[in-house]
Amino acid sequence: MALTGDLSTFSFVDIFQILARDKRSGILLVEWQDMTVAYYVKEGEIVFARPVDRVFRVYAERDFDNLIEKLRISKKNLPKTIERFLITKLGSKEGVFSFTPGFIRYNSDIPVDYPIEKLIMIASRTLTPEEVERKISDELLTFEKSQDYMEKIRKAELTRDEEKVLMLVDGEKSVMDIRRTSGLDNLTVDRTLYGLLALSAIKRKKREKRHKPSITLELLAKIIERIKEL
Amino acid sequence: MKPIRKIKIVVAGPFAAGKTQFINTVSEIKTVKTERKTQAIAEKNVKDYTTVAMDFGKIRIDDEHELYLFGTPGQSRFDFMWEILGEGALGIIILVDSTDPSTFHEARRIINFFQSRFPVPMVVGANKQDLPNAWSPEDVRTALDIDEEEGIPVLGVSAIDKESVKNTLLTLLNIIREELLH
Repeated sequence: MALTGDLSTFSFVDIFQILARDKRSGILLVEWQDMTVAYYVKEGEIVFARPVDRVFRVYAERDFDNLIEKLRISKKNLPKTIERFLITKLGSKEGVFSFTPGFIRYNSDIPVDYPIEKLIMIASRTLTPEEVERKISDELLTFEKSQDYMEKIRKAELTRDEEKVLMLVDGEKSVMDIRRTSGLDNLTVDRTLYGLLALSAIKRKKREKRHKPSITLELLAKIIERIKEL
Repeated sequence: MKPIRKIKIVVAGPFAAGKTQFINTVSEIKTVKTERKTQAIAEKNVKDYTTVAMDFGKIRIDDEHELYLFGTPGQSRFDFMWEILGEGALGIIILVDSTDPSTFHEARRIINFFQSRFPVPMVVGANKQDLPNAWSPEDVRTALDIDEEEGIPVLGVSAIDKESVKNTLLTLLNIIREELLH
């Protein structure tokens, strides 16, 4: 199934969130104006970044160990490619991305110096006010910590400011309350909430019980039958 | 002659999500449209006409009841209509164009709007699944940050396919049924 889009409307934080959720493997291709980079993803972790002059080259080798051998890159140097071709590009907002699941085979362990949780938080620090507004759209929104939030943030390497924001998320305080109580600037608070949301360390607070539907069971059964007949 | 009781389901979603088509596919009347020519260049690139007030379609249930499907305008400048159309709705269907991730954040904003004002059963239809570059319903769910606890199913839909539209409606109606039983 396709996973394509534009960085101007779907940020790296959003992309990483999707990759992390199901611990996917495959190749994420990002085409900027100045370069095209293939990111190799193993079980939700980005393990290698490789600029390519032609897209088809990405699909010329299916075995990861063979690939890095051909490119003469040792496993211990793989994280350096992430630093050079991913982390420095996280602030770039103009480009198109596509993720091809599967394709590449990983037959051995690969070091992960930049866990996806850490990348999500690094990327969230580059979000613009317009980007954070997409999810932190209302200062009355209330978040609560997920049950396993400690596990989610273990690899995220939060800054002290981000930890402060996380501690203030309690299912009671609104975004406005957190902004005020933390003493931090609004953008830092909003970026942190956006990143924590992508990590699934926090979630929107569940609404109170829904209204009881104003219809009888008998009438509802009639509607269901009628729809089936259409 | 007894007055006919109108039962309302709202079909909401971002611009060009396929709301009018969705209603058209199952409506027994020709959908009543309030379309105008699109103005903004970005919108004109997507479609020539867009809903500005509402669309509605109708399904007759029996001599005393009719099910109305109300489609909201997708552009945020008409969001005052969401408030009006949401009032008294039995349930809400949020349609999302699965091929256009640039609209996913807007879809989440619409979900938040209806959740806060009209806490009634809701389903999300990941529409245009018939197109080759459609995101899967599971990916749309993640992109929309829909938590399991929210109780909002995300279904693959093709608004041009009657069975697909029926399945979406039946999923919503079955959630309503469950809520009545518990």
